[in-house]
Amino acid sequence: MIRIFATELKLNLKSLLIWSLAVGGVGLACILLYQTMAEDMKEMAGAFSDMGAFSDAFGMSTMSIATLPGYFATEVGTCHGLGSGMFAAILAIGILSKEEEGHTGEFLYSLPVSRQKIVAAKGGCVLVSLMMFTIICALMYRAGCVLVGEELPVKEFCTFMGREFIMNLEIAAVCFFVSSVSRKNRMGLGIGIAMFTYVYDLIGRVVPSAGDYLFIGPYSYANAPEIFAGKAAKGEALVVAVAVTLVAAVASFICHGRRDLAG
Amino acid sequence: MSKAIEIAHLCKNYGRHRGIIDVSFEVEKGDIFGFIGPNGAGKSTTIRSMLGFLRIDSGSIRILGMDSEREQEEILKRVGYMPSEAWFYPSMRVRDVIRYAADVRGMDCREEAERICSILKVDTTKRIRELSLGNRKKVSIVCAMQHRPKLFIFDEPTSGLDPLIQKRFFDLIDGYVAAGATCLLSTHVLSEVNRYCRHAAIMREGRLTMLDSPDIDDEAFLKFYEEEEVLS
Repeated sequence: MIRIFATELKLNLKSLLIWSLAVGGVGLACILLYQTMAEDMKEMAGAFSDMGAFSDAFGMSTMSIATLPGYFATEVGTCHGLGSGMFAAILAIGILSKEEEGHTGEFLYSLPVSRQKIVAAKGGCVLVSLMMFTIICALMYRAGCVLVGEELPVKEFCTFMGREFIMNLEIAAVCFFVSSVSRKNRMGLGIGIAMFTYVYDLIGRVVPSAGDYLFIGPYSYANAPEIFAGKAAKGEALVVAVAVTLVAAVASFICHGRRDLAG
Repeated sequence: MSKAIEIAHLCKNYGRHRGIIDVSFEVEKGDIFGFIGPNGAGKSTTIRSMLGFLRIDSGSIRILGMDSEREQEEILKRVGYMPSEAWFYPSMRVRDVIRYAADVRGMDCREEAERICSILKVDTTKRIRELSLGNRKKVSIVCAMQHRPKLFIFDEPTSGLDPLIQKRFFDLIDGYVAAGATCLLSTHVLSEVNRYCRHAAIMREGRLTMLDSPDIDDEAFLKFYEEEEVLS
């Protein structure tokens, strides 16, 4: 099982590096731009915070983008949330189904390892890849702060990265389940799941009546402006996240173990 | 226990598509058993059921005395399987694929793998995506043989292999069988059945018929396929 896990990690390494360097790189670039934009930001901050639903949706009514924490939360928070969600979805939705789509399943499943162990090895690979992704991005954001000579509040920054990781896990778990019952790599569906949950959160923050159900979506507890403003996440949002992740993971084991494998 | 394979009343249905119907047969240890039949007759479904890839609807499968559903991992430790489509991870090198298969089995198969690679002339430095079908098949043969299994299951193993490699492949099988292994050979090639198999069965329309002898002439062999066409 360890060998399958290690090989899977190696096969996904290139994708992990591309995504983490791309998402982390965009965040780093945003932070580096902060200094050159800081003066202009001060003038624009008032206007941005007063744009009604648009300001609410992107958290600019919660924090001032003239400060680094506010700028980071609105700009980098959006990029990281969307990028990491897409990476989690793409990684997880193909990891089991690629074996049948690529006809490698007959090789893998003829080795003396149970399907449950294969699911566990591949699930472990998703988990570790997302951890590595989060760490690489966090290091790049930290490097950006050092380069511009500014500091982000450590507690809020760690909370943000941790919640993003949990959000990534939730999206990945749902996509992992889709992968466990699918014979084709449903990458489009994976991106769709990530985009839908992001837009659901965006709409929930703009439309007052939809706000009551915001906690169902994974982006609700990973909202950067709220985290950097010191607002606590709703308990029910985290309960839903844990429940969805566990149910999807268990269902993946059960469904993949029972189904016929394509040739 | 002298049976390597014991299949009784095996049924597998794919909903609207016919699978296999009431298939029963046994293969003695040390046998080379020919498994012939037209495309879509149910040969691969039978093999895939034996390996636990498919959930069977009814019947029972015992491999090397073990139940195919409850003891699948133990069975796979003792089986060398070569699928008809030999696919591996395209970015991996041949030597890494061979090593990977051995590592997952928890075995050091380097010596045997090197021996088979030299017999079959396998270039272990190439990446899988650079290989032709024939060369991928050779890698598949190494993966199926390197752990010296008790039972070989080959699904159309020689398609894509040149005549010299085909001969060497059967020489290897003869060697393993002489040392106590058993071989189930699914094939469309009559000469392979005549020359190498000791017993044979034919599958048509999901049903299996044991043949009195694997020595079949061309006309009788083609008749099996023509009858399938008439039936369908």
